[in-house]
Amino acid sequence: MNCEQAKTQMLGGTIPGENQGEEFAAHLASCETCRTESSRIGALWQSLDLLPVEEPSGKVRERFYEMLGAYRQGQASVTMPVKQAWPRMIWQVAAAAALLAVGLGIGYGVREDRSRPELVQLREEVASMRQLVALSLMQQQSASDRLRGVSWSYQVEPSDEEVMNQLVTTVNHDPNVNVRLAAVDALRPFTGSPATHLMARNAVIQALPKQTTPIVQVALIDFLAELKERNAAPELRRMVSDPDIDSGVRKRAEWALERMQ
Amino acid sequence: MSRVFSYVTVSTLVNTRDNVVMAEVGAGQVARLAVLFERHHRALFRYFVSMNGNREVAEDLVQEVFFRMLRYRTSYDPAQSFTAWMYQIARNAGVDQVRKRGSAQVVDIDSFVDRRAELVSASPGPEESVSRGQDLALLRRAMDRLPEDKREILVLSRFQGMKHEDIAEVLGCEVGTVKVRVYRAIRALEQIYFALEKEKAS
Amino acid sequence: MMKRIVVGMGLAALAAAQPQPGAEGRQQLTMHFRDPSMPRKLVVEGGTGSLTIRGYQGQDAIIEYTGREISGANGRGRGRRNEPPAGMHRIGESRGLDITEEDNTVRVNSQGIFGGTARDMVIQVPAQTSVNVKTMFGGSMTIENISGDIEAENFNGQVTITNASGSVVAHSMNGKILVSLDRVAPDKSMSFSTFNGDIDVTLPADTKARFKMRTDFGDIFTDFDVKMEANAAPVVEESKDKNGKTRRRVRVDGTQSGTINGGGPEMQFTTFNGRILIHKK
Repeated sequence: MNCEQAKTQMLGGTIPGENQGEEFAAHLASCETCRTESSRIGALWQSLDLLPVEEPSGKVRERFYEMLGAYRQGQASVTMPVKQAWPRMIWQVAAAAALLAVGLGIGYGVREDRSRPELVQLREEVASMRQLVALSLMQQQSASDRLRGVSWSYQVEPSDEEVMNQLVTTVNHDPNVNVRLAAVDALRPFTGSPATHLMARNAVIQALPKQTTPIVQVALIDFLAELKERNAAPELRRMVSDPDIDSGVRKRAEWALERMQ
Repeated sequence: MSRVFSYVTVSTLVNTRDNVVMAEVGAGQVARLAVLFERHHRALFRYFVSMNGNREVAEDLVQEVFFRMLRYRTSYDPAQSFTAWMYQIARNAGVDQVRKRGSAQVVDIDSFVDRRAELVSASPGPEESVSRGQDLALLRRAMDRLPEDKREILVLSRFQGMKHEDIAEVLGCEVGTVKVRVYRAIRALEQIYFALEKEKAS
Repeated sequence: MMKRIVVGMGLAALAAAQPQPGAEGRQQLTMHFRDPSMPRKLVVEGGTGSLTIRGYQGQDAIIEYTGREISGANGRGRGRRNEPPAGMHRIGESRGLDITEEDNTVRVNSQGIFGGTARDMVIQVPAQTSVNVKTMFGGSMTIENISGDIEAENFNGQVTITNASGSVVAHSMNGKILVSLDRVAPDKSMSFSTFNGDIDVTLPADTKARFKMRTDFGDIFTDFDVKMEANAAPVVEESKDKNGKTRRRVRVDGTQSGTINGGGPEMQFTTFNGRILIHKK
């Protein structure tokens, strides 16, 4: 290998799927010029990594979901019967506003209007998109992302069983304490919804014996006390007399039992 | 203490490869584009900021790229690398944007660079991190002074971590040419950096 | 293929890295990250002494620790103590230090007691490495100059994180959480929790976030202008500190929420027995 050929290989070792190879190593061993150049530009290449990363503002995400929703609505309208021009325009403005409101997580304030099935459908689509975001984030590798997923779960309907089940899985199995702790709190809205309150209550009762981390145990105990969930009493009594359990947690269990009376 | 986290339910959402997800979008499941957006919008944003130095324009362009993906979704070939396809769209969107604005677009590179220099040196710490901060500010300036084509190839290969084959596809050249151009770009960056350093010292 | 260094386990180490005796009683090992252009991750599990993780400008993970002699790639010196006495054979072995690299993740595992003595460990990694640490019986844990995502969990001891500029998710069972962020990555959720101890977090003045705070037997202090959410109804007391800066004391019960600088990603602070202090940098 000559110097010309070696030059193109100098950054090879740092690029995915690229290998510098033995010939290059042999050349470096015999050529001091290339050796110093290689280490110099290699260092520069590495230091590029230290440049601050510009991050987009939150608006980018809002606008994307808004656009995606509008696109899907537009797609649907192609197959719909042709309407007069102006009502459709009004509908589009309304849809955009609704999407914005829902997309921003302002709440469930968009009035249900049965006379407009498109609006109901749109609402469902946006809801499923939020569900998708919550579910996929809750399964990411990084705890920070999973926490974001837990935060997103506050934006789905409290009757959404799939998201509730994912939260329960997170409470029981997530490797990170802080994520488990956040997921316990996020189950609260589900205990208030007629569709899911029984399942949610049961999930909280069953989660208690599975936890070994004091801070999460206490969060669950407080939650059960708040719900005045008598079905948890046997487990709480067991905990009070279990010497392996942290004394602070045992006191908390005792307190919860009193509160349920 | 070691608990194994099982990624059972809907794990496909997270693990499916980009080209498969995009093919699904092409086949009509447009909501799946959200997955690709969550994966790539930050990197795309960084690409645009590096190329034109303006955050607002970069945000518009990110939006434009995802819009074009929707519009041309059926033309995507799953055999093609998704990343390469995305940056082809990104380049075209960037070119169109400059054309649209014509010569009226003035990017205040200096104030932009200064702001970033501030950002770097604003974080106090041990002495070495301060001096490192200054070097980084200089490096940032050097990057911004690099001719556009050289800057682009560095952004793609370094910041976006793209494979040479994918870059070759985006730029429409041979893989060997990419290697030579990456080398030339880093050498040019080095020269500008040293020139700036001398300028500062004098 | 996976690189691996096994210390104190009779297995041959496959890595090119060889243990080098460092300064007095310290051992040093170097492990390469396979692909410096891709995201790096450091995972540390177990440990019986103090642990420090520090970001630096190099490319490798450098693991330094105090401890007894080790057997490395060259198989030298396991020490007489480890030879089975005449007529006996080994049926059990204390697990030692196990260092592996796979897919750009360096894993340092030191479960169990190492030669009956506490081991203090210092690990240096490139600043832009994501760090995930979990210790059971460790002492204090310190993480410095890391710009990747940090996940830290300690059982008995303080968690100190300084000059961080990515995201932090930290927990201590019985210790204080002390965190200082130079920069906050937008769009990152963070969480700080301890069962018994104070949480003391310093954030850049322009941080946009939504705080969720909970303490049962302590107060919350901050010099940020926190816009409390309606359902909170906290008692806010203002006072001047030594430097004449206004300190606001927020007295609350249960979980309280509020935003700073217009709000942003969630930051959760939970302690059952301690104070929460949130400082403006």
